[in-house]
Amino acid sequence: MNENRVLRCACGWETTGTLDELVIAALDHGRRIHNMEPTRDQVLAMVVDDAAADDDPVYEAAAAPPGD
Amino acid sequence: MTRTPAGWDVESPVQAEVFVVWLRDDHLELTGPCGAAPWILELGATDHPVAVVDRIVRDVVGTPLLVHSTSWRRDRDAVILSFVVVIDEALVGGMESVPIGRAELARSEATAAPRDIADTQVVEHGLRHMAWLAVDDAVVAGALSPRWKEILAGYVPEPFRNLG
Repeated sequence: MNENRVLRCACGWETTGTLDELVIAALDHGRRIHNMEPTRDQVLAMVVDDAAADDDPVYEAAAAPPGD
Repeated sequence: MTRTPAGWDVESPVQAEVFVVWLRDDHLELTGPCGAAPWILELGATDHPVAVVDRIVRDVVGTPLLVHSTSWRRDRDAVILSFVVVIDEALVGGMESVPIGRAELARSEATAAPRDIADTQVVEHGLRHMAWLAVDDAVVAGALSPRWKEILAGYVPEPFRNLG
């Protein structure tokens, strides 16, 4: 089982890593780019398995991350 | 120029939608940390929209030449305040950038808002608003280069308005 997780923002930004890494990256992205202050639970609710993201055509369509 | 229809997103009831525009040679281009997609910011209950947009743009992109709210509409289960932010070429760096094409405006019905409003139509109206300011507002006129004003002269001037 692949333990990597993926979090993608609607703007196209994405990050991969452990849950703790995703939360740290997402809090920084949300605060700096979107003026958001998400909770850890809100971030975790949007995390998906790396393999699931690879199989999802919606995620595949957003493969190009922004310059953040 | 679209946002991913799934994933983590801004969900506040009031949001700012920022279009970062710059002059590349003889035409205008759209850029920003989200590339050509609209750059969405959460606006809190006590936030001043212009102050938030100005602060975030300065932090992420650099000092803007102009920050102007150009329209508002109801969309994405929120009230969306659209902003055109003008930046200098030197700030674009490695951000994705695409030329801005022309679009027909989304027009309201006599007593109802347009059913669908595309991002390109919001940008079109934003630049028409800038065209209006360029001849009506001394601060805006002073901040834009002669070439910028030449290009804006090709847009039909329109004041701030509700798009939907």
